[in-house]
Amino acid sequence: MSLNSALIELLSAMTTAGGLFIIAAGLTLVFGAMRIANIAHGSFYMYGAFLVSTLVSTFGSTAFWVSLVAAPLAVAALGFAMEVLVLRRVYDKDHLTQLLATYAMFLIFADLALRFWGAQSRAVAAPAILSGSIQVGGASFPVYNLFVVVVAALVGLGLWALLRFTLLGWRIVAAVEDPEMLAAKGTNVRMLYTVVFTLGAFLAGLGGAVIAPLQSIDTGLDASIIVAAFIVVVIGGLGSVAGAALGALIVGLFEALGILWTPAWAPAFIYLAMIVVLQVRPSGIFGVAETPW
Amino acid sequence: MTSLMRRGLLSACSSLGLGAAVAVSLGVSLLVAATGACAADTVTIGISTTLSGSIAELGRSSLQGIQMAIDRLNANGGLLGKKVVLVSADDGAFPANGANNVRHMILVDKAVALLGPATSAVGTAVETVAGQYRRPVFFHMANDIQITTSNLNPYAFELVPNTVMEPRAIAYYFAERVAPKWNGKKIRLATITPNYSYGRDTVDTFIKTLHELKVNFEVVSQQYPQLGATDYTTYISALLASHPDYVFAAIFGGDLITFTKQAQGFNFEKQVRLIGFYGRLAMKTLGTALPDGAIAWNRAPFWVDGNAEFNEFRRAYHEKFNDWPSAWAITGYSAIQIWAYGVKKAGTFDPDKVAQALAGATVPTIRGNITLRACDHQAEVPEYVGVVSNQIDPRYGQPIWAETVAIPASKTMLTCEEARKLQSSHR
Repeated sequence: MSLNSALIELLSAMTTAGGLFIIAAGLTLVFGAMRIANIAHGSFYMYGAFLVSTLVSTFGSTAFWVSLVAAPLAVAALGFAMEVLVLRRVYDKDHLTQLLATYAMFLIFADLALRFWGAQSRAVAAPAILSGSIQVGGASFPVYNLFVVVVAALVGLGLWALLRFTLLGWRIVAAVEDPEMLAAKGTNVRMLYTVVFTLGAFLAGLGGAVIAPLQSIDTGLDASIIVAAFIVVVIGGLGSVAGAALGALIVGLFEALGILWTPAWAPAFIYLAMIVVLQVRPSGIFGVAETPW
Repeated sequence: MTSLMRRGLLSACSSLGLGAAVAVSLGVSLLVAATGACAADTVTIGISTTLSGSIAELGRSSLQGIQMAIDRLNANGGLLGKKVVLVSADDGAFPANGANNVRHMILVDKAVALLGPATSAVGTAVETVAGQYRRPVFFHMANDIQITTSNLNPYAFELVPNTVMEPRAIAYYFAERVAPKWNGKKIRLATITPNYSYGRDTVDTFIKTLHELKVNFEVVSQQYPQLGATDYTTYISALLASHPDYVFAAIFGGDLITFTKQAQGFNFEKQVRLIGFYGRLAMKTLGTALPDGAIAWNRAPFWVDGNAEFNEFRRAYHEKFNDWPSAWAITGYSAIQIWAYGVKKAGTFDPDKVAQALAGATVPTIRGNITLRACDHQAEVPEYVGVVSNQIDPRYGQPIWAETVAIPASKTMLTCEEARKLQSSHR
């Protein structure tokens, strides 16, 4: 394969990784800080995409930039509502009950989406400035895909700054690494959970909003993304944003490699990646092992 | 996962049955039909299909066509004096759900016949259950060749071109109208198809038929994304890296829309010519973003004028739903017509008599006169192949094809001998 084609493949893998990272980052924070596997995370992603399509079809393509912010905010509000009304009731229950609660919300959100937006799939056009392609060597690469990578990088940067330099960020890291100590130090853990969950929902909505112009938007989106997102989180380690970034890169690259070497087996490659990583580091690459007390 | 939610009437017959029981206890005698039709004045037909996910629109639009046919049937006095009732459920494209759904419809809703699902994997599961419980089943969407060969039972009928006929038709069109322009130069072909039986069979048969027709070509790349995959970026760049002249894409429904959108950013259509399953949904959703000049195939294109009954149906459907009928709405409507014909000819709902009445019969439908071949219950219907236009057609308010050619069944069907050979080999 020529150098040119390899570069295009790499950029394509980065696009996949970028989209996955935005979604997985939210999932890993919730999973790591709250110890909850939120299956409804896929629903938040889908709602982000649907809201963008509704805003753009109502207000025209100039509304795209506004909807990139408005849609995730609306989804964050939805996440806030879910945390306050549903999750708070199951924090003291066992993990299986919590999982079932998020799965129940997944089903409810799916049915609501079907009623509100219907079964017809939708398409969103990217704004003109992001349409078209650039030339990489002799080949074309979509400008919008590069935009996805840029947004992912900005999200990564923003989260790094949050976790490194802000009080909220320190508390989140503490919740991931040592939840008992956090409560003992007097932190309002309940409020922290609400904030983390809302942030997670925002990120999922943002992931859906950014990917919207690249997809057919329909009611299958919630299930389609959740498995890949979980694999990224597991590979990268629960609660680690850096892990989510690395995990997303690994998944993107493995999928690209799989497609190039053995197209018939390509979908299996990301599961292979997960198995390999878990063998070497059972808690994920940057994961924190659960210390028994 | 939303497949566990059921739609439509649940146990309509049990509520009627309750009414019958009350009537009987009051000393009123009621005749209940022997083959399990529910109370005296209604009869139930069931369908499990995909109503959620990326191909939800396919199942949903087929239900619209089916319900319209049933409404008209009932307006004209029903079937053997009984009103037809439709029960439907979502299988989410999972075979186990499809089997459970139809079993429920047969045992609880007392369905006397079934219509097939959207996907072939569910299709073979539904066919098996229909065979076990002896119910006529009409496949108007799923078209796996197994349905009429290795999995065939006396009660199953395939009403659309199967996974042998369809790719053969596309290959014929390609060999006769596209390849000659290359003047014998070797054509580079790549394929991308969902990774399950429909996809693989369609691609394999397309390639095999091109060889048989002595087209000078080579396969430079083959991709197999999962059904319902949402990210085709890496597949697209892998395809382009192999520098094909044509890409044969057996992707359909919402996935085809996703693929086309993602491919456009790579200037796909400037470099390769697509061969794809572009039907009403893709053309309406993509509109002017369609790949102009792509070769396409369809099983029942609404823009092809048919008999008077079809033209009237098309007008009435558009008036009712503000949408042109998809291939699935059209084939679904014809499925009800075919079942009704069989019941009327047999004079009963008895499955064996209905099946016998239909095998080898020629039935008038909105798709023209359809002959159901006796040796394999395959409808002798054409496959439509043509060229996509991305210009809005003023008659329809959406793009249609610039050219549409009907490839007849006589060119594409397996011979009865070939079919029988496959029938005796149970996969």
